Amino acid sequence: MNKVFAIAKKELLTYFKSPIAYIILILTITIFNIFFFMIIDQNREVSLKDVFQVMEFMFVFLVPLLTMRIFSEEKSTGTIEFLMTAPLTNTAVVLGKYLGALIFFSIMISMTFVYYGIVEYFGNPDRMTTLTGYLGIWLEGAFFLSIGMMTSSWTRNQIVSAMTSYVILFLIYFSISFTAYFRGPAEIVIRQLSTWSHLENFAVGIITVGDVVYYLNGILICIVLTRLSIENRLWR
Amino acid sequence: MITTKNITKYFGSFQALKDVSFEINKGEIVGFLGQNGAGKTTLMRILTSYLPASSGTVMIDGDDIARNSLTIRQKIGYLPETPPLYENMTVKDYLKFAAEIKDVPLKQQRCQIDRVLEECHIQNVKHNTIETLSKGYKQRVGIAQAIIHEPKLLILDEPTSGLDPVQNLQIRNLIKDIEEKRTVILSTHILSEIEQIAHRVLIIKSGRIIVDESLEILLKTPDDAQGTQPTLEEVFIKLHSESNENYE
Repeated sequence: MNKVFAIAKKELLTYFKSPIAYIILILTITIFNIFFFMIIDQNREVSLKDVFQVMEFMFVFLVPLLTMRIFSEEKSTGTIEFLMTAPLTNTAVVLGKYLGALIFFSIMISMTFVYYGIVEYFGNPDRMTTLTGYLGIWLEGAFFLSIGMMTSSWTRNQIVSAMTSYVILFLIYFSISFTAYFRGPAEIVIRQLSTWSHLENFAVGIITVGDVVYYLNGILICIVLTRLSIENRLWR
Repeated sequence: MITTKNITKYFGSFQALKDVSFEINKGEIVGFLGQNGAGKTTLMRILTSYLPASSGTVMIDGDDIARNSLTIRQKIGYLPETPPLYENMTVKDYLKFAAEIKDVPLKQQRCQIDRVLEECHIQNVKHNTIETLSKGYKQRVGIAQAIIHEPKLLILDEPTSGLDPVQNLQIRNLIKDIEEKRTVILSTHILSEIEQIAHRVLIIKSGRIIVDESLEILLKTPDDAQGTQPTLEEVFIKLHSESNENYE
């Protein structure tokens, strides 16, 4: 377990020792700020519901940029050989890396808490919906990160890794648009696959077991697949 | 210390190693020699359990590599051909990370880091970012990483490539210092180097071991043509031209 934290710490260290982390954080928050202003200016509503929706959409673009290097970089620089010949289990490597990415992502999200402060100052927002809304986008981001990490474990090329996760994320995100062309069980499957149908409830303050299980399952599956691909070294 | 039996390794249909068997005893320094692409790195990667062998068994210190890979990895220090360094970490942070994942107890980490910094002569750059270091320093950080957990077996893949003569000498001395405590396997194609430090050589040609001999015996066998004692270089070149003829 200590080693999982050691790897997570190293991941964060490599982010923050270079300017990349700060640039990503500042640019992301700037994009969010622009949307926050536009939404509040237009809606004149003390709710972060629409802000969450935009953030969710932005994650589709942002997360692959965060995750594309996780394994691809280690492979292209050869440091993967260092990790795989150290007395580490593959599970520890995958979990450590995922934890590192998750912490970075959480830091990014926590910077938007200021929005809540702003709406709280000017109005009387529903605290519960904001809280569940945050839980929703955090779970969503965590799911996207695990997808990004998985694609990163498939290739040594960061661009290929990012593009592959874009394809998967777009498919999952927009699959609800295809439901009109299907009937019966197929329609239900496609509807349930889409993150849209699961994030809706969080945004209006409802936490259902089904939604939470959807995200946790997704994360678990991606972590297991990542571990398998590391173990099989398909990329050799 | 190491016993391998009939290791073969296929990459697709290409056979990189053919029936490799050898034994290495504790405290020996063994040089792997061979041309580029002969299979030295593949063999080392199998010994460090980075690559699985297609068939055959490897026993290290009484453990089977296929079963107890984790315990074996604790006993091995490995320097790959390109030192596996995280470019934007400082030397000290990197060594700390290496100590953490290689099971160095928390209390000993600091003194182990100080020890390897000193042994590899990298004290003066410990706060530098790795990407700013010259090749020689990077190589030494790579060696520091390999010996940080005091492994019983040290595997070095071309540890002296790209170094200047002074650094070369330092690294040779470093390996000699280590020798008393542990077994060392190193590969190189600088033959004079092997002559100076190794006890034994394994010459690999196209995935097969063609010579497994202690250095003394190998160099004492007189050269037929001249009747003088050959250098390792002469032996090496002769072996490679000989077996080429055999194949033709």
